[in-house]
Amino acid sequence: MPDYVHPEVLVSTEWVAEHLSDPQVRIVESDEDRALYTQGHIPGAVEIDWAVDLQCPVVRDYIDRAAFEKLCAERGITPDTTVVFYGDKNNWWACYAFWVFKLYGHKDCRVMNGGRKRWELDGRAWSNERVSYPHTHYTAQEQDGSIRALRDEVLKHTKAGKQLLDVRSPEEYRGERMHMPDYPNEGAVRGGHIPGAQNVPWPLNCHDDGTFKSAKDLEKLYIKELKMKRRSPTIAYCRIGERSSLTWFVLTYLLGFGNVKNYDGSWLEWGNAVRVPIAKGAEPGGIVAGSAAPAMHA
Amino acid sequence: MASVQERLDELVGEFADLDAREKLELLVDFANGLPPLSPEYQARKTVEDRRVHECQTPVFLWMESADGSARLVAEVAPEAPTVKGFVSILAEAINGRPAADVATISDDILDRMGLADVLGILRTRGLRAIVARVKRGFAEQASG
Repeated sequence: MPDYVHPEVLVSTEWVAEHLSDPQVRIVESDEDRALYTQGHIPGAVEIDWAVDLQCPVVRDYIDRAAFEKLCAERGITPDTTVVFYGDKNNWWACYAFWVFKLYGHKDCRVMNGGRKRWELDGRAWSNERVSYPHTHYTAQEQDGSIRALRDEVLKHTKAGKQLLDVRSPEEYRGERMHMPDYPNEGAVRGGHIPGAQNVPWPLNCHDDGTFKSAKDLEKLYIKELKMKRRSPTIAYCRIGERSSLTWFVLTYLLGFGNVKNYDGSWLEWGNAVRVPIAKGAEPGGIVAGSAAPAMHA
Repeated sequence: MASVQERLDELVGEFADLDAREKLELLVDFANGLPPLSPEYQARKTVEDRRVHECQTPVFLWMESADGSARLVAEVAPEAPTVKGFVSILAEAINGRPAADVATISDDILDRMGLADVLGILRTRGLRAIVARVKRGFAEQASG
């Protein structure tokens, strides 16, 4: 049975339980619902919130390098710390935080397989004590452009017919709805998908207990069924780049794809952008050269 | 007796001077204070369409009144303590007060709690849907 290509990025709840007081390890919880951390977290874990801590409050972007350094310093994280992420909803937000840490070049990032759900199912203890660590000095790297795609690059990518994954629900992909089932519409004016994108809804990466599917099952899905190639450049997107950071994690670390980028602008940017091509329906579709932008009269 | 809005203002006022962490702790206290559904409502949940579909988390609401006195009965999934805490605050303000009063709840209640700063603006939208649903439900009670 094939193993994950980079198995070291995944740790079990047992591993975390054994490293609760390891000064080399910092455990970070990232949830959709922040009150979950307040209610009960893994003893000693700090919280990083995707919206309040990781998003720039002014520009639609991530926090800048200086703000990232401050965030890490305040949580007692050094550039050499092993940072273990976990959270609710199949580690969706944990993978998002993991991706931002990689964006700023943090070396040793891991995900606790199964997240909050697995910790609960394993009958392990929660703590609601406030957690603080002595501040550190943290020096981050410049943003790593090799894991982040911006809109113009996605446009070139789709025109070149390269590997593109839409990880939203089939209803969003087909253009029948502009948000997740049961979620409010958060403001895209067009529905559909980026031409050429294949649809692999992100929950297909995980089991019901929140753990990742086996390497064999993931290979079957992406490589055997979708005929994706590990060496070909790949871009993944969703609505705001959170669900696709989980798929980015799976492709990069569990399957060993060599060049995967997360398009964090995602549908909220693409579905609002003027004159970008859009495909509707269940098929990936493609772009006929020149069809995206009609000629302008002088 | 204070009106629904006055009671809600008192409860919201408790959040005013708190820092982010304390706001979340108070919200969790309210979440823990929402009583579980009685067997009667557990049974009704399976046959009545009481889910708030605009809300991503499973939320079930009953807007009821007897002799003009309002009662909000609710169940919120435990994995969403923010939503549960907010619904618990609404129930605390509404229960035992005139049903006709619920319509006067001001729509900026979330802004005044300062939760957008704590939760991020995106996540307050589901809560707005709940306020709208509760107000509409009691308005229908009053007119029906």
